[in-house]
Amino acid sequence: MNLHVKDLTVTHRGRTLVDVPELELQPRRPVTIVGESGSGKSLLAHTIMGTLPPELTARGSLLIDGQVLDIADMANRRRLWGRTLALLPQEPVLALDPTMRVGGQVAEGFPGFPARRREARSAAGTLLKALGLGASAQAYPHTLSGGMAQRAAFAAATIGQASVLIADEPSKGLDVGARDELAALLGRHVEVGGILLTITHDLELARQLGGEVLVMRDATVVEHGPAGQVLAEPSHSYTQRLIAAEPSHWTYPWMDRTAPAAEAPRLVSGRGLAKSFGGRTLFSDLSVAVRAGERLAISGPSGCGKTTLGNILLRLTAPDVGQVSHAAELGVGRLQKLYQDPALAFPPRATLGDGFRDLLRRHRLDPARLDELLPALRLQPELLGRLPGQVSGGELQRLAVIRAMLLEPALLFADEPTSRLDLITQEETICALMEQVDRQDCALVLVTHDESLAHAVAGRRLQLGQDTSTSRLAKTPA
Amino acid sequence: MTSLSAIPTATGPATAHPSPAPGRRWRTWHSTRSLGQRLALALLALLAAFALAGPLVWPDHAVQDLSRFLETPSLAEPLGRDHLGRSVIARLAHATQLSLLLALLCVATALTAGAVAGIAAAWRGGWLDVALRGLSEALIAIPALLIVLIFSALADGALWTLYLGLALAQWVEYFRLVHARSALVLAGPAVEAAGLLGLGTVHIVRRHLWPELRPLLATMAAFGIGSSVLALSTLGFVGVGLKPPTPELGLMITEAFPFYSEAPWMSLAPVLVLAATLAGLLGLRSKETP
Repeated sequence: MNLHVKDLTVTHRGRTLVDVPELELQPRRPVTIVGESGSGKSLLAHTIMGTLPPELTARGSLLIDGQVLDIADMANRRRLWGRTLALLPQEPVLALDPTMRVGGQVAEGFPGFPARRREARSAAGTLLKALGLGASAQAYPHTLSGGMAQRAAFAAATIGQASVLIADEPSKGLDVGARDELAALLGRHVEVGGILLTITHDLELARQLGGEVLVMRDATVVEHGPAGQVLAEPSHSYTQRLIAAEPSHWTYPWMDRTAPAAEAPRLVSGRGLAKSFGGRTLFSDLSVAVRAGERLAISGPSGCGKTTLGNILLRLTAPDVGQVSHAAELGVGRLQKLYQDPALAFPPRATLGDGFRDLLRRHRLDPARLDELLPALRLQPELLGRLPGQVSGGELQRLAVIRAMLLEPALLFADEPTSRLDLITQEETICALMEQVDRQDCALVLVTHDESLAHAVAGRRLQLGQDTSTSRLAKTPA
Repeated sequence: MTSLSAIPTATGPATAHPSPAPGRRWRTWHSTRSLGQRLALALLALLAAFALAGPLVWPDHAVQDLSRFLETPSLAEPLGRDHLGRSVIARLAHATQLSLLLALLCVATALTAGAVAGIAAAWRGGWLDVALRGLSEALIAIPALLIVLIFSALADGALWTLYLGLALAQWVEYFRLVHARSALVLAGPAVEAAGLLGLGTVHIVRRHLWPELRPLLATMAAFGIGSSVLALSTLGFVGVGLKPPTPELGLMITEAFPFYSEAPWMSLAPVLVLAATLAGLLGLRSKETP
């Protein structure tokens, strides 16, 4: 069996969002589509699945299992769901039903579910056990980690034995360990003769999956070929740019930097810090100091307490044990923070311009500084007239950088500032951030789960969560 | 008493446009609202005009002329005369003015007190939060009308006791809503960022809290005015509200009931004013208000 897409287009009010003349999916040959956000790759997956919003118009045909389906009619794929076509959704934590136990909701996908309830239950149990979630069958989704939730969603998507699995940004929000596990799971689906289509902006996942890679940009496929070839020796300029945007390939002047002298004054010193949540110890007896002009990266798997440690160092959260002292120069406004989701860091119903005006007025700053920073960070002044929700994530994070840097802080704490952004936007955002940090000689504490980003940005590294009870302090020179 | 027409402007731009220029505000409201909302607004404008201009056109609501007992409607007296020979339209105009004014005053007082207390409790926390929440829960345990009754019993139906009782019964709702919403907003990263940026209280109230609260408060205020008008007339109807000869909608209905078969318009007119007020206020609310 194979799946063949012909002349697929998706349009919205005359604007073409996806235009793929041909796409062939075969068993044992995974296909991965990579590209930046807005390139239409997720829309392609939803068109095949038949879950496109009604405002969008799709055209084309789909040959599946020997029968031809009209893509324009979204309803004709519905009867294939679960049995032939399955979707592994983005952000599994949101896709799972929070009111149902994991085992129960996985069992619902079993063929002939309500009638064969008992068989479905035992099939769900077996599947979850095979995925290492045997103990969590009776747990509610909110108690699972991101990686466990992804495995539970995988179980729910595959219990119906669908041969075609479409994974839409499956590694979003997962740390390296969980992503490797996910790649192995998807690989297993391919090994047993399944068809796999993965949509991702994570090039590392694409490398691990192998098979064929399609690079999408502005609604079309600009390059395709075997994963090894496309991702190692890209021929299209866009693919080259995409690969160069991986932190491990960066070369920027701000990266070339010697560690500050040991006698640089301490801005923040935390001694004997410990914190636990609900009986789980995140870290204990941890001492951290941040010196002026230093760049420290806190990394580790998700849920290890990186953000909590950062907030403790900023004195936004109190530690269970230990003390944090701030140097005198960290007065009002000299300590700034960038948030993982910039949309939550701005008041949602006030225009960005109003927020900036308040800031300039409050600190009697020269408005010319803002006018000068906007073009320096490649932002249009018109953006200030909009609400935070009307600006893209990358632009908003750069605006957050401006907002923080206007006050010339002595220390900036960046909490996963780019984990929700695609590679090219991440590069743009980090460059904007680091150019300002470099110019103002401000200390930086970066929290990230991306080791290569931590390596590219920071001069000193702090790794948390190496094992569950204590944390190991790793100091590596840049 | 121009504030009636100000209610829709408060409801209007809150959801779509956070701070358009005042001149544009009206046009924005007008272009984004449904036909039903425009009709409701027109109805309220009509009522406001009646309440404002009516008492000027028909000033003598207390003049009795027993010889004109239950006179039928005519051009000069559109609603005829009542059992004491008083002009019904004059009494209705004065009653409408009184009801709407008192309701507006009650809602304004309750809203201001509730919002200030709610924000203060959510912001300061600690003993202030505990004390205010305790007080609000104690008040919620008592039926609102009972509070008003107790107050009006204190001073035998004087106007100020009704006002105080109604406001006291209503501020709790505003307090609880504002408290719950503000606590959520104040705990969020946007306010944390504002704190790190050294932006003060004014910024947080103006840019973070007020835009979130405004649509909710506007909707609640519209309902609150309706329920105040109703509560006032209910008290008048059962004879514990304002005392005769003050023209009051509920009182007018009670007084007119015995003559229903001879002069049905006398009791229907105040009922119609009440119904129109409520329909207008309910029709104003916008669907997209969270």
